[in-house]
Amino acid sequence: MNPASASAFGIAITGMGAISAFGEGAEPLWRGLREGRSGIRPLRHARADKLRIRVAAQVPESFDPARHFDERTLSLLDRCSQFALVAANEAIAQSGLDFGAGGLALRTGVIVGTGVGGETTHDEQSRLIYEEHTGRVHPFTIVRLMVNAPASQISIAHGLHGPTFAVASACASANHALAQAAAMIRSGLVDVVVSGGTEACLGFGSLKAWEAMRVVADDTCRPFSRNRRGLVLAEGAAMFVLESMAHARARGATVLGELAGVGMSADAGDIAAPDPAGSARAMAQALADAGLAPEDIDYINAHGTGTQANDATETNAIHRVFGEHAASLVVSSTKSMHGHALGASGALELVAVLGAMRDGVVPPTANYDSADSACDLDYAPNAPRPMAVRAALSNSFAFGGLNAVLAIRAPG
Amino acid sequence: MTESISPDAVTSQVIAIIAKQAKLDEATIKPESTLKDLGIASLDAIEMIFDIEAHFDITIPYQGANFDTDTVQSLVDAVIKGLAAKAAGPGAVGPDAAA
Repeated sequence: MNPASASAFGIAITGMGAISAFGEGAEPLWRGLREGRSGIRPLRHARADKLRIRVAAQVPESFDPARHFDERTLSLLDRCSQFALVAANEAIAQSGLDFGAGGLALRTGVIVGTGVGGETTHDEQSRLIYEEHTGRVHPFTIVRLMVNAPASQISIAHGLHGPTFAVASACASANHALAQAAAMIRSGLVDVVVSGGTEACLGFGSLKAWEAMRVVADDTCRPFSRNRRGLVLAEGAAMFVLESMAHARARGATVLGELAGVGMSADAGDIAAPDPAGSARAMAQALADAGLAPEDIDYINAHGTGTQANDATETNAIHRVFGEHAASLVVSSTKSMHGHALGASGALELVAVLGAMRDGVVPPTANYDSADSACDLDYAPNAPRPMAVRAALSNSFAFGGLNAVLAIRAPG
Repeated sequence: MTESISPDAVTSQVIAIIAKQAKLDEATIKPESTLKDLGIASLDAIEMIFDIEAHFDITIPYQGANFDTDTVQSLVDAVIKGLAAKAAGPGAVGPDAAA
């Protein structure tokens, strides 16, 4: 497949929005990452004294849902749906699309990735039953906590009538959602999809479960650094407006980047430990799907969780796919700054890739302070790297052995 | 709590838990064996630590576990440390003080 013909199938990204540890908006997120600032802080939690988890990358307290939603709407929204709506509203506004015109609303879908959906609601209502023995829960519990709630709420808020559903693959949910969105546009099923990921996973029960798994760092997230101690949990959302390149060009839209190809695979092995063969297959597929050669890639936004297993395995997989070119490309993990927002991570990381392409600056891997022989690539340690990014990969690898990789081309 | 368990007793109890979990003969498990040597994958190791914590009623601090290099002895040491912290009484040492 030559690049020109592949490009005909490329998907234009014409809007983006986010909410993260850096606050509301894609721009504050990108500015933070570009400057190498960390959003990781001491955990804010009502039961912090009963938790061993000490740090997280949480949406700041300045986020006031009442400023975004009226009382009636708010009573229907779990925190993960609030995030999804805030990000989607920003992305849709930036795209300039008018869904009321020419029946576009009927040909616009909403595909949202989330790892666990309405965890805050689930946790709070369970507490009422098991701890307070109230014997009853809020009547909106089901419609708040269902995993499709964020997608449904976006469709309701914007009157979008196309295919709308959730995609769940733990930490790869956002990338799988974006890949599904791209496939639907390519197939001609829809013209536009609002897609991304959202997560608000910091309920007490959920934090206890992460503690028990012993993969959460107690200090900070140090991807690829020898002294890495695990991941740091985060929350947030990022959403994008995707449309066919032809559709975007016909309306004269500003294209932020091109989702040029996707690769997906399953390790079909261990439920938790990553397999470099599986991650390598997803990366190679994304390149082939985009009509890109390994040498075309300037930057990889790594999955880079900061666990011992992931970072060494991912490095191994990059070597397998890129051969000699692995030494020339730059790999960074922005999870060192925005944390690991599970099903939202791939979406937050796509904001980083589009920012890098626009500004010609690769965001660093923060907190990197000691070399590991098992992690021997150029990770842009601690300082942003000014460089042109013409094409990039963004990796997401999930528990369950599920891999989803996006190939992105700079607009041009 | 004043009852104290000798280090040898801790070692044999830890080995018994590992043997049961990994379905191994206790005689094949040495203090210097790494979990990798014993063929214990990461999730199984996490579950084993969970069982050890329950057995001794302690909390083993999270120290950035590396299942390729952690040995049976390092688990025994963590248990001894956990028992000492428990004996010192609640509040004397935070759960992660050793981390």
